[in-house]
Amino acid sequence: MCAEEVGFVEKYDLLGCIQCGRCTGGCPVAMRTPLNVRCFMYNTQNEDRLEELSEQPEIWDCTTCFACAARCPKGLEPLEVLIGLRSLQIEEGRIQPTVRDALESIFKDGNPWSSPRAKRMDWAEELDVNILEPEAEETTDVLLFVCCTDAYDPRVMKVVQSLIKVLDAAGVDYGLIGDDESCCGSEVRRMGEEGLFEMCDEENVELFNSYNVNRIVTISPHCYNTFKKEYHGLNYPILHYTELVAELLEDGKLELDKELNNVVTYHDPCFLGKQNDIYDEPRYILTRIPGIEFREFDRCRERSLCCEGGGGKMWVETESTEERLAEKRVEDAKEIGAEIITVACPFCLLTLEDATKVKGIDEEMRVIDILELLAEAL
Amino acid sequence: MNVVVCVKRVPDTAESEVHIDASEKDIDKSRLSFGINECDNYAVEEAIQIKERLEGNVTIISLGGKDSDEVIRMALAKGGDEAMRLEDDAFVGGDALAVAKALAAAVKDLEYDIIFTGALTDDDGFAAAGVALAELIGVPHATYVKDVEILEDGKKAKVGRELEGGLMEYLEIDLPCMLGIQTGINEPRYASFKGIKQAAKKEIALKNASDLGLDASDVGEAGSWAVLEKFTPPVVGEMAEIFEGEPEETAAKLADVMKEKGLV
Repeated sequence: MCAEEVGFVEKYDLLGCIQCGRCTGGCPVAMRTPLNVRCFMYNTQNEDRLEELSEQPEIWDCTTCFACAARCPKGLEPLEVLIGLRSLQIEEGRIQPTVRDALESIFKDGNPWSSPRAKRMDWAEELDVNILEPEAEETTDVLLFVCCTDAYDPRVMKVVQSLIKVLDAAGVDYGLIGDDESCCGSEVRRMGEEGLFEMCDEENVELFNSYNVNRIVTISPHCYNTFKKEYHGLNYPILHYTELVAELLEDGKLELDKELNNVVTYHDPCFLGKQNDIYDEPRYILTRIPGIEFREFDRCRERSLCCEGGGGKMWVETESTEERLAEKRVEDAKEIGAEIITVACPFCLLTLEDATKVKGIDEEMRVIDILELLAEAL
Repeated sequence: MNVVVCVKRVPDTAESEVHIDASEKDIDKSRLSFGINECDNYAVEEAIQIKERLEGNVTIISLGGKDSDEVIRMALAKGGDEAMRLEDDAFVGGDALAVAKALAAAVKDLEYDIIFTGALTDDDGFAAAGVALAELIGVPHATYVKDVEILEDGKKAKVGRELEGGLMEYLEIDLPCMLGIQTGINEPRYASFKGIKQAAKKEIALKNASDLGLDASDVGEAGSWAVLEKFTPPVVGEMAEIFEGEPEETAAKLADVMKEKGLV
């Protein structure tokens, strides 16, 4: 391995680290795995040790939730060092088969779920949706980017189907990419596959810019974050669906007639909250639903506990047998008396719903996306 | 230890619906994705591991159109050294024997100790091209190989063949030889995007029938013993039951049937 090529010290400003330990102190997965990100900030300064450090399994425990970066007094991003170490493993080809299969599937079929491209629009089989034409003369207001997990996962499909119902009810002028839609690459970058991420960036930017739209709306905060902060040369503004729906409610375009008498809480996804400061819109939407009693988690907004679904963790199993953070989260929800945990992210939906099953409380507590609750209130 | 690996680009039909096209002699490939044949992927990995242990070089050979370069590049990115692609209109419609004739001509001037193919392909599934190749070039062969150990003198290999029920049959085989590799023999590595891009700089030698010294009548449909007549879809039998509904419902029904029949 050649230190000049990698340049960890410069790339991650490692000499700026004062070893205060706030990163590890705030790291949610440090509660259940051996990961100590402060040690990696120190040890990776010795570039002769990079190969050895990249072989330590705990580098794959990081969910890239951003708590370490949000708390760093020097403005460093310790999680990026772990992603850098993962990159070394990727270039050697030495990765878990599940990670390999997800990445190969993105290269081959544009999604990490080993599903064929031809099935990408199966979720919309019974719906009347508008597929955008590139270079169209007429402008469509919203390009709706669906996300691989919403498109293929039978549970998460219900979220995008609910969004279509909401957009139709509000009379939004929107269109979809259809079968040609490909993975945003957020998880690709976080699993350390820099080259493949660059491909996602280039190909998606070219595709998106070929459409005549006013703005792009995403369902997943992971797509949102990547389009907004990591893509190069996008012509259109990026919105998360919570921003669009809040706007529709505010403008009186979306009316919620049905009363839902439920105690509801909201789990802030890391990629929407901590990483993009979108805290108010989801709460604005939920509190507009008639009959809802809204209760906050103790750990909410920027202190929200990570569900462990990000950073490629959907494809990496952590060896720890300690209680999962998602299990802690649903216990917390039970304590505040919530009947429904709402989320705004496909990964949070899957991890938290799974946790209610592990805890045996799935009969009494539902985990649903805000959009599903909205669709019920229409 | 020099190893030649024969690889094929095939459609991924495991997750997709397969439809027969109007000619009845092919399937509609317009909505299918393609990649390296699964067994071949393990064969590439096995060859690279042997090279890493014992030095030597790995040559990748594929018969197919330009699209096959993608699977060749992936194999080069993982550690393959040289590559050859065999393309000619005359190769079209060939059976396993016709393919083997082209491969035999391609390896004729190479120095090799072992030739790997996949044990069988995911598309045609004849499991015959490798065996026919071995016969044509006059080397011993073994198929469904799930363990390869090069013996110390480098003149023989100990080979494990996976039989029914996971039973392993071990045999000693003289080198050079042809081995048909079964899935599960190793854990194939990942070829990074950067690695594939760098591999694009390596030359893929293109050979047609005349470069290989073959007459059009030797290969393709003309040189085949078996000619494809037509495809037909499987007929739904009387005992078949198709469950319909949401995944939760169909899974529950399936579980009930399995319990009822004493399968779990």
